[in-house]
Amino acid sequence: MRPLLRALETLGAIAVYLFAIVRSLFTGPRYVGETLRVSEILIRRCLIPVGLAVAPVGAVIALQGVHIFRSFGAEELLSSLLATAVFREYSPALASVMVAAQAGSSIAARIGTMRVRGQIDALAVMSVDPIRYVVLPGLIACAVVTPLLNVLTTLLGLFSGWVFAVVLVGCDHGSFMANLYSQVSLVDLYVGLSKCLVFGTAVGLIAGYLGLQTTGGAAGVGKAANNTVTYTIVLILVCDYLASMLLLSLGL
Amino acid sequence: MRFDTFVRHAVRAQFRGLPPADEFVRHALDAGVGSIALLTLLTIFAGMNLSVQAYGTFARFGGQEMLGLFCGVGGIRELYPVMAAVVCGARIGATLAASLANMQISEQVEALEVMGIDPMRRLIAPRLWAVTLMLPLLCAYANVVGICASYFAAVHQMGINEGVFISQVKEIVHLPDLFAGVVKGVIFGWLVAIVACYHGYRAAKRDGAEGVGIATNRAIVHAAVLCIVLNMFLSALMYA
Repeated sequence: MRPLLRALETLGAIAVYLFAIVRSLFTGPRYVGETLRVSEILIRRCLIPVGLAVAPVGAVIALQGVHIFRSFGAEELLSSLLATAVFREYSPALASVMVAAQAGSSIAARIGTMRVRGQIDALAVMSVDPIRYVVLPGLIACAVVTPLLNVLTTLLGLFSGWVFAVVLVGCDHGSFMANLYSQVSLVDLYVGLSKCLVFGTAVGLIAGYLGLQTTGGAAGVGKAANNTVTYTIVLILVCDYLASMLLLSLGL
Repeated sequence: MRFDTFVRHAVRAQFRGLPPADEFVRHALDAGVGSIALLTLLTIFAGMNLSVQAYGTFARFGGQEMLGLFCGVGGIRELYPVMAAVVCGARIGATLAASLANMQISEQVEALEVMGIDPMRRLIAPRLWAVTLMLPLLCAYANVVGICASYFAAVHQMGINEGVFISQVKEIVHLPDLFAGVVKGVIFGWLVAIVACYHGYRAAKRDGAEGVGIATNRAIVHAAVLCIVLNMFLSALMYA
């Protein structure tokens, strides 16, 4: 009975949280300046880690792909494989994972710190809704910034694949470029961008929820940051798989 | 303390005799057994996703039969070791950094020093050993679970012939590949531990709860980026 009650309690808390988020999305007051400030910090902090994490993946795909395709004598397929893998799969997933690691954990830690120091309650006393002022800016920033970063990481992934395949291994530049976009369409780009939008929103939602739920002082802050990353990565990978199955059955 | 100084002290403490057994066992259990549920869940979905994605991609070239090759190379050589390192690294590293930072801001590390116990020897060395020894096991485990998940998705969902899939995996994945995954695991494990311990150890008392959050965040991000970048160089060294 006890675990069941606790699960119901958590479900209720999540429902209340989501309802508050939706309500504050559609009604004022809005804190636009705060949202812009958080977005700017987020972009500045995420740019380098996300770029550094995605760039090697393009090179690794090229490295292993050259190996396989050479043994079949089909080296020109390499750039098509690289483009499909990067556009649809690796760039969105990895960009979101890194946003979760960097932005998600820092948002959760910041909100958690405010919670254990009583600043959240102080805001509420001053009749500033903490959801509007603290959670929502982070949520919107994550949702907007992740797709933007995805554009950058897609380019970076393709570029690093090109560097590895053409400059280091010596594939032909002309056939690499000619086949690069032969198998990808605009649909792949939209799929990647919408995945990023969904994952970014999830990062913001989970970080905000776990940050607000923080208890137990300094140790609790670390735990909130840690759990945010773990839960988000699980969510990203599971959703990624479901999205792939859906797209495959739709024939896209 | 600067990073190179910290690494020098930590390595000296790590290799000066056996680490304290109780701390080592506690952290090894937490890092290894504690990560299994998370890693299993993630690897199953990542492995199935690899099959589904590869099927979609290769269907465009008309090479669905190459699925086994792709899952073998992409999964066992690259994806699973890195995923184990990044995901478990995030979990383990964050826990290590948070606990150490918490000890720093509550002056427990200084208390150890006052009692004449070397904190490097007592705190850092067992953590380094625990993660360095556990992560390769997790990488090997992820390889097994991942390839099973890829097989399941390929054979039961995509309708690939099971014999073809297995023979292709056998053709491309050899014992050295599995060994390479374990070697990567050792390197990633040490890296995750040293980065997490550094950020946790560096937290100062005046930072308070905020310091714990910052240490956790930096440990997760730096470890993940370092593992992914290093994986590229290791792969280039091993396979190119």
